[in-house]
Amino acid sequence: MTTGNPSYTNPKPCKHLADYKLNHGLSGYKSLQKHLKSAPHGKTSVGKPSSTTPRCISCDGFQDIERAELYCCVCCDQVYDPDFDKAVMSKHIMGITGDKNGDESIGKRLVKRRRLGSGVVEELVDSKISKQLISMRDRRAKSCYPLGLRGLNNLGNTCFMNSVLQALLHAPPFRNYFLSGGHNHENCRKRSVDRLCLSCDIDVVFSAAFSGDRAPYSPAQFLYSWWQHSANLASYEQKDAHEFFISVLDGIHEKEVKSSNQNRENGDCQCIAHGVFSGLLRSDVTCMTCGFTSTTFDPCVDISLDLDTSNFPPKNTANKSIKPDANSSMSTLLGCLDLFTRQEKLGSDSKLYCQNCQERQDSAKQMSIKRLPLVLCLHIKRFEHSPVTKMSRKIDRYLQFPLSLDMTPYLSSSVVRNRFGNRIFAFESGESDISAEFEIFAAVTHAGTLESGHYVNFLRLRNQWYKCDDAWINEVDEGMVRASQCYMMFYVQKSLYQKANEDWSHLPISPRRNMFGQ
Amino acid sequence: MASHAQLASHFFGDLLDSIIVDVASECHRISRLGLDRNLEEEEEELKLSAQARERVADPNNSGEANSKYVVDIFGQTHPPIASDIFECMNCHRPIMAGRFAPHLEKCMGKGRKARLKGTRSSTAAQNRHSRGSPVSTYSPYPNSTSTNQLSNGTSGVAGEEYSNGTFPEP
Repeated sequence: MTTGNPSYTNPKPCKHLADYKLNHGLSGYKSLQKHLKSAPHGKTSVGKPSSTTPRCISCDGFQDIERAELYCCVCCDQVYDPDFDKAVMSKHIMGITGDKNGDESIGKRLVKRRRLGSGVVEELVDSKISKQLISMRDRRAKSCYPLGLRGLNNLGNTCFMNSVLQALLHAPPFRNYFLSGGHNHENCRKRSVDRLCLSCDIDVVFSAAFSGDRAPYSPAQFLYSWWQHSANLASYEQKDAHEFFISVLDGIHEKEVKSSNQNRENGDCQCIAHGVFSGLLRSDVTCMTCGFTSTTFDPCVDISLDLDTSNFPPKNTANKSIKPDANSSMSTLLGCLDLFTRQEKLGSDSKLYCQNCQERQDSAKQMSIKRLPLVLCLHIKRFEHSPVTKMSRKIDRYLQFPLSLDMTPYLSSSVVRNRFGNRIFAFESGESDISAEFEIFAAVTHAGTLESGHYVNFLRLRNQWYKCDDAWINEVDEGMVRASQCYMMFYVQKSLYQKANEDWSHLPISPRRNMFGQ
Repeated sequence: MASHAQLASHFFGDLLDSIIVDVASECHRISRLGLDRNLEEEEEELKLSAQARERVADPNNSGEANSKYVVDIFGQTHPPIASDIFECMNCHRPIMAGRFAPHLEKCMGKGRKARLKGTRSSTAAQNRHSRGSPVSTYSPYPNSTSTNQLSNGTSGVAGEEYSNGTFPEP
């Protein structure tokens, strides 16, 4: 498959169209532009074809008037031309915003920063870890289990914490940062007045997990520190794994901000939490009357998805057998992502103010991903709240998810382009060159009800799945993971996943040796 | 002169054609420009998941998913409640791992905020409705059950905040 760049396959130009362009240049397109009409939702058509419009009779081509597409009578097929699409889009942009640059100006306003997180992490890995790996290889007896695989004791309803910790311990860029000394807790404690530092405590957990000791570890100190950070979540009750995840990232970020006096701008933040998990979401609100679109960008450390249940037949149509043709009634992760990036018409009771029309109008909103993180955390909203009974309940519906995930269709470039009919046109400028291909490495599952249940984490290391049920680590096959009910899924960029597998593939370990001096 | 019914039928036909060509044109463009998703890979993933579910649902399978393991991959076995003993960092008493969280909760004063930058005023804490007695950090009975029984799996009291102004040494 091609790389994640959302580029077009340049279609082979129709010979007849090419000849026409050689003879007549782009004048035909330009005169056509005058007659182009754009609808607010993005589609273009040709209005009022008059005899003055060159119908390209000379080349036997003409246009599909309703859709502003070119059709070649000789090829008997619809044909595509970048110059034609450009003419269509230019007219569209000028028509809607009244501002000559339109979408291009949005492009220029984007922050064009490279992901510093990945740059820093890669350097650290290369210089320090490779030296350590070599020395480890020399000294240790062979063992076939991946480093860092270690059970975590349940300290009393703390499976929510254990399952997320396992995912963090094995998120390649996050792991590499801590293992290569990215946050040295001795130096940190010397430097800072505030003794509370979640990163230090995480560093300790990493040391313990990767020490080679296989007896289950009790993350008691970490629990203590986390409770001090998140006073409102500090209780013996069952807690939500997703809430915990967000609060840990927040804790890491806060300390980083305090110690380096940075501006609290999550989008450009260089703390390890944001460097690894932070992406950027784009939200487009379009006026359904004039087509004017206002765009905002918001950083995010994860994406919470609603289950795609809209295709389901109303009553029981006996979909008991799980045949491939029952796909339409099964929830899939791709379906949830489709739902997330679908253009949603906002109700008439929530009309938004349109700058162009200067009044409140019916609007539509569409989300897309402007910038993908290194590690993508997808959270499934498995709860629904009934306004009638005022109660929330858990949705146990099965969700199919892929092990290899291509996020290209959900990127802003793809979504925005699709909204305008997939014209050959540079819609997004300044997009980072992070690949859109991801591989899953951790899946947090939940069994039970909202109030009481149990979290289990499945880890995928070197393409082998391990079930991490608090202190118990067991090998399981892929099928069991596929069939389980996921609540949070952690995907990492494919290149980082492959690299992580290579790094550790020949690593022998001895249970008695501890390389971090703990 | 065409009848109303014929006209209506004609218009309907036009509309239907238009909708069909809309979809066809869109798909044609997507396909020609190479924008279609890798449907084969997606279908393969769906098939694998369906097969996996069938296997798990099959009663002939030993119910591997939920069976209790005898040993883990390192050959170790573990009790239902973690039995390691270590020192509580708040009160320095030895605590069993599996009971550490409920102990710590009482030990820290149930949901108490321990930030260095100022705590809630004690009046605010007193004004809150409290269930059960406030626990000081010097309780001689670390494992005593409080009036709020929080057994595994039931939802308990929402975290109520007390502050007694002391900060634990890390």
